[in-house]
This record gives sequence, structure tokens and C-alpha cells, in this order.
Amino acid sequence: MKSNLFKYTKITAFLAVLLFSINSNAQEKDASNYDMSFEFKTIKQDDNSRLLEANFNGKNIEDRKDIIPMFNAEIKFFNVLNEEEVLLGTAKTSKEGIAQFTLPENQKYLTDENGNINLIARFEGNDAVAESSAEIIVKNIKLALNLEEIDSVKTVLVTAFTFDESGTEIPLEETDVIIYVQGMFSKMKIAEGTISEGAFEFEMPTDLPGDSNGNLTVFSIIEGNEQYGTVIQKKNIKWGVFQKQIKENQNTLWSSAAPVWMYVVLTILLVGVWANYIYTIINLFKIKKEGQDIELETES
Amino acid sequence: MNIDTRKRELVKELSPMLEKSSLLSKIWIISLISIILVGLYAFILQLSNGHEVTGMRDNVVWGIYIVNFIFFVCLSYSGAFIAGVLHFFETPLKNSIARIVEITTVLSLIIGPVFILLCIGRLDRLYYLFLYPRIQSPISWDIIAILTDLIGCFVYLYLTFIPDLAILRDASKENAEVPKWRKKMYKFLAIGYQDTPTQHERLHKIIRIMSVMIIAMAIVAYSVLAWIFSLTVQPGWNSSIFAPYFIISGLYSGIAVIIIAMYIIRKFYKLEKYITKIHFFAGGVILLIFSLLYGYFTFSEYFSRWFSHKKHDVDLLNTLFSRYFWQFIFANYFGILMPIAILFFKKLRTVKLVTIAAIISVLGIWLNKYLIVVPTLETPYLPIQDTRAEFVHYSATWVEYSLSLTGIAAFCLFFTLILKFVPAIPMSGIIDLEKRKQLKRKKDNQLATEL
Repeated sequence: MKSNLFKYTKITAFLAVLLFSINSNAQEKDASNYDMSFEFKTIKQDDNSRLLEANFNGKNIEDRKDIIPMFNAEIKFFNVLNEEEVLLGTAKTSKEGIAQFTLPENQKYLTDENGNINLIARFEGNDAVAESSAEIIVKNIKLALNLEEIDSVKTVLVTAFTFDESGTEIPLEETDVIIYVQGMFSKMKIAEGTISEGAFEFEMPTDLPGDSNGNLTVFSIIEGNEQYGTVIQKKNIKWGVFQKQIKENQNTLWSSAAPVWMYVVLTILLVGVWANYIYTIINLFKIKKEGQDIELETES
Repeated sequence: MNIDTRKRELVKELSPMLEKSSLLSKIWIISLISIILVGLYAFILQLSNGHEVTGMRDNVVWGIYIVNFIFFVCLSYSGAFIAGVLHFFETPLKNSIARIVEITTVLSLIIGPVFILLCIGRLDRLYYLFLYPRIQSPISWDIIAILTDLIGCFVYLYLTFIPDLAILRDASKENAEVPKWRKKMYKFLAIGYQDTPTQHERLHKIIRIMSVMIIAMAIVAYSVLAWIFSLTVQPGWNSSIFAPYFIISGLYSGIAVIIIAMYIIRKFYKLEKYITKIHFFAGGVILLIFSLLYGYFTFSEYFSRWFSHKKHDVDLLNTLFSRYFWQFIFANYFGILMPIAILFFKKLRTVKLVTIAAIISVLGIWLNKYLIVVPTLETPYLPIQDTRAEFVHYSATWVEYSLSLTGIAAFCLFFTLILKFVPAIPMSGIIDLEKRKQLKRKKDNQLATEL
């Protein structure tokens, strides 16, 4: 494991140097062992900003499991319509080979007559690594999440619309949505459904614990949709039924007392052993007494 | 056979070893006392300056003290085990070696735990261990096991001494050369034992029960000692076979030490008549069996660690095969294969070669224990902040070596002093054996006459 890490760091550093080098034949020769892979996705976040994310890796031609992230590569993000290309922003890849750029809620996009936004992420290449780019087309949508108590029923209401050229809301049809709640380490899926006529309704379970104050964070997510990409909405609400854990952990390092069975076993063992010691001592006294009697008899 | 005459004969034969103080024995005792005095100085130094004078630091909190502790305590448990087996099964070799085994057991159980005290940084807080014990801690189990076992072994040793003390009491009555204090001591400790049938039966019954008990106690105490290590998640310690592994290695070292003690006592007290070549031959065979078992357990232990490819286990093995290469080779190859090579061939099972094999085994086992304790502590899960070499790596100082030698010297000194008080060969055992033989002869003769 240690040697793999070493290899990982070394090759990552090597590719980073390779990326900005011009005159290095040996490095070029090594880079040829790797196929460049470029992935691009967009996530519309809960504050209605849009995250653009490009993932740039080198895959070993011989060993496909050997994937090396491209570090410090400059990725440019564009909004394209026909021949027109607008630069949205640039970002450099992290050690994991990921470049991210966030567009604000009020960002104006070039859209076609159907309201599609054409986005491109591009690495312009250098002498060592060739140009790579990826394109996605998404529609801008408005996803709303409402948490309401309707007739004492805790209800999750999801509404989703797209917009036409004139900005009129068009309800979404046949689109999958997933409802999650935030757990300690990750999100927990609690329902899956389909948005129909721009709405999805779901009855929230009443036995979710939430945090120590009973707060729940509910997410509605359209995940990796072909038309809309990933769209996230979230809300906090005090619907949790938090109860303090009353069951004490048994036999922990910090327990003030050992488990009962341990006392019982120890007592049985010690009583058994000490009873035998006492029995031995009693017999020694009997031996002594007999010896004293014999001595008295001999003297008399 | 007149029993009283035979007793007198045996006392005459074996008592010179109680009275004789040759120049050699005087030099021996003075040398041992000198080593102990140097150790005492080292102890005062450690007490006043703290563990700074040792090689123990934040990372390696246990050094050769704990190695000595395990070695001596294992020796004691194996002694108890062997003594129990010898008595319970009335083995023919019992008479010649039983006392050596019993003394080894008690002395090592007294000296071993002293090393644990040397490991404690704040000895002034030792009583906290008894005031606030944590029953769920294997260390508490070990303290309970050691104390119980110590008392049990003392009682057992005393029980086996009683018939001989009675013989010596009777013999010293008319002997003006025997000092008064010694006569008084024999009388007091013999508790009026006259070897009457009732007394004989009673004493042997409790010895028999105690012999079974100390076998069981030795196994429990051995396992508890192993659990101090194996119940942690430390690499190299967290092992399910550690308890049986400790039992086997303890018995292996115990048998080896008994063979060495047999050789020295036989040579020094000229007891060739009682400790014969057959004893060494049998000891050699038993040592061979245990060396094979020990080798098998050692192989299993390291093989499973190597094959598991767990990061920390692999790191530990890398340390063992780099920094501790020669120690590892000596402990786990030379220390096991060499005794096997010597003892495997019948012709090589001579007194001297069996003793040499035993010495190699003892050194190998001690080093094996060192390799269990120190390298694991040198490869912690979390790196420490101050990574100065002397903080990460352990090397024992003269203070630790001196106190370790003091332990060995104290063991030898007490052994010598005990043998000045009671003979190395139990006289009562010889008489019992002769009685049994006489009875058997009588029965055979009776049967022959009837036929």
C-alpha cells in the first residue's frame, strides 16, 4: 500500500511537470502510455447557482485500473450558441484532477429556441498533452421544495418547471426525483418518485431522529438527468424526533465497572483457589496437632 | 530396609552440601552480591532521576524490564506446570529434579514481578492500582493471577519441603555441628511431622490436590499474561494464538532453564548419582518436542502476519527484517533450529550437548520476547510529534542491563542459599520410592511362594 501511494504521488507530480514542459522527449514518451479522459457535468445547486465540474484523468493504456488525475491543468468553461462562444470562467484541476467553477443565480446564458444551454469545458492542450474537451446541453429548470403540514400530515412538496423562450413556466413531466435527509456522514434516501405535471408529493416519515435539536435537512434531487443535469434543492425543518440514547454501552474502556459475568467468573475462580488454600492450611494444622500429640506421648 | 537408618544415611550423604562452604562457593556468592549491589546503585539512580536514565521514552514505554518480566514469569508458570505434572503422575524422574523445578518456580515468580515495578514511572502511585482497580483490564487480571499463583507456589513448595525438613530436624538433634538457629528453624518448619501413616497420607493428599491446582493456575496465569498483549490492537500483539504460544514458549524456556540448573547443580554438588545421563536424555527429548512445537507456533504467527498484507503488520515485519535482522534470525531461526538439530540425533543427546541446546533455547526465547515487545512499540499507529531518533527507537542503557543482571544474580543467589538449607535432592522422595520398591518385592515374593 505504501509503495502504491508512493507511485501515485510520483506519477501525479510527473504528469503535472509534463503538462507544462516543452522540451522533454523522455516525458513525452511516458505520457504516451496514458489515454486522457475528460468528463464534464453540471449541478444546479440549492441556492440556484450552477456548478460546472470537469474531471480530467490519464488512464494507462495497458492497465486500465491505473488512473492518474491531471493536476493543475487549466480548464476553460464556455457557453456556446451556433458560432458564438462566451467564456464563462476558468479553473485549475485539483490533485484529484477536478476543476470546478460556480456560476451565480443571475448568470445570463445563450439559449437556443428550445431553451437549451450548450456548455463546453475545454483543456487547450500543450506540447505534451493534447487538447481535450467535453460538451453538455441542459435546460434551465426551477426546482422548488416545500415542507408543509397538511391536515397534521408532514408533507414534502416538490415543484419543477422549465421555461420557454418568453420565460413562461412549463411544468416538468415524467422526471425522476429522489428525496433524501442528511445523515451524519452522507445523505439517506427516503423516497423515490416521478414528477408529473410539475409536482411530486410525498408523506414524510414521522420517526426520523434529526440532530440533537430535532432539525432535519431534506433534499429533493433530480440526479444526472439527460435534459437537466443534476438539480438540487434543500430545506431545514424541525420535524425530527430526537431522543437521547438511553441504552448504555456495555464494557467500554471508559466504563466505571466491569461486566457482571466478569465479577462472577473471577469470584468463582478465586473462591475455588482460596478454598483449596484454606483446606490445605487446615490439614497442615491437623498434621501439626498429630505431631504434638505424638511428642506428648513420647515425653510422658 | 530400616527407614530410620536409611534417613540417616541420606542425611550423611546429602548434608555436606548444606554445610560445606568452599572457596568457590564463597567467591560465587560474593560475585552475585557484587552484581546486586551495582544493581542497587542503578535502582537508586533510576528512582532519583526517573526513567530518563533508561532507554524507555514516549513511544517505547516498555523495554528489557518487561522482557525480563515475561521471561521470569513464564519460567515460573512452566516450573509450576512441570512440578505439578511430576507430582501428579508420579514420574520416575521426579525425585532428582522436582526440587530444582519447585525452587525455580517460586524464585522466578518472586523476581519476575519486580521488573514490572521497575517499568512504572511513578512508583509512589503504585497503591492506586489496588485502590482503584479496573477488573476489566488484563493488567488487573495479571496482578490477581500472579499474587494468587505466588501464594499457591509458596504453599506447594513448603508442602514438598515438610518431609525433608522433618528428616533434617531429627538428624540435626544429635548433631552438635548444626547451629542452634538452624535446628530451631527445622523444628518450626517441620510442624511436628513424624511421617506416621495418617500424616503421610494427609500430606500427600494435599500435595496431590495442590499439584493439580497449580497446573490449572499456571495455564490461566500464562493466558492472562499473553492477553495483556493480544487483547490490544497493536500490530504483532493482536493475535488469537498468543495465549497457547506463550504457554508453549514458556514450557520450552522452563525446560531449558531446568536442564541448565540440573547441569550446574550436578557439577557443583557432585550429584551424578542422582542426576544421571538418563535425566538429560529425557530432558533433551522433551526439549526437542517443545522446540518443534515452539517453532511451529512461531512460524504460524509470523506467516499469517506476512500473508495478511495488513499495512501495519507489513511495516512491523519490515522493521524485523531490517533493523532487527540478526536478532530475528538468532531468535527465530538459530534459537529454534539449532536445538532441534542437536537434539534430533540420539547420539548427540549427551549431557553437555543437551545443556548447550538448552542455553541456545533460553537465549533465543529471551530475544524472541524482546522482538515481541520492542519493535511493535517502535511502529505505532500514530506518529509522535517529536521524532528524534532516541524517542522513536529503543536501546537499553547500562542501568537497565545492570538491573536485569541483578535479577539473574538474585535468582542464582537465592537458589544457592535455599540449597544451603535443604538438599537439592528430596530425601523423602527417595525413601518413598525405596519403600514402594520394597513393597513390590515383598508382594512378588509372596506371589511366588503361593504359586
